[in-house]
Amino acid sequence: MGKNLKLKSARAALDMSQKDIADAVGVTRQTINAIENGDYNPTINLCIAICKVLGKTLNDIFWEDDMNE
Amino acid sequence: MNKNQLDEMQTQRKNNIGNQSFLLLMYMLMIDAGLYGFGFRWIDYPANIMIMVTICAGIYLIRLINSNAYVGPSTQNQRTVLRIMLTVGMTVAIAAGIVVLLKHTSFTNTTQLNEMSAPIMFITGAIALIVALVTLVIRRSQ
Repeated sequence: MGKNLKLKSARAALDMSQKDIADAVGVTRQTINAIENGDYNPTINLCIAICKVLGKTLNDIFWEDDMNE
Repeated sequence: MNKNQLDEMQTQRKNNIGNQSFLLLMYMLMIDAGLYGFGFRWIDYPANIMIMVTICAGIYLIRLINSNAYVGPSTQNQRTVLRIMLTVGMTVAIAAGIVVLLKHTSFTNTTQLNEMSAPIMFITGAIALIVALVTLVIRRSQ
């Protein structure tokens, strides 16, 4: 599982730190870091919570196609 | 999401570490039983069981803290260090208590050691029950 650069860029676009997102969705900063680094595969509930905080859709953040895996 | 408990990654890690610690304990007990079958007794019962359980519990606790799966997100900012220090202190105190109790008993005298195992197990179980009850009452009140 590769790095989730889309999550990182969406977070950076909102000028939010990993800690800010973690506090907003109710997880630890280490969990957000692991998701960004591709070390942890989050549940759909956590994916939805992250997308709501970032104002994006699941496709925008978590969909992987052949061009962007 | 519920901030009062571990998050999903922490829960997965905790379960993983718990399973590995349980298997470690099982393998240690089997090795101990095998050694006993071959006639080799490194320490008399029940000290061998208590030592193995204490080792596995210690490994479990250290790995939980090391992998950040001991405290949940809500307490990360508040009293993490205090809580961990308190837990480690209590663990050391309990381990020291067990060592002192074992030191006062003679390993060569199995009967005396067996007599000491009953109060140790009773006290440990009673403390665990009291902690569980207090936790339940606090959760209900919240």
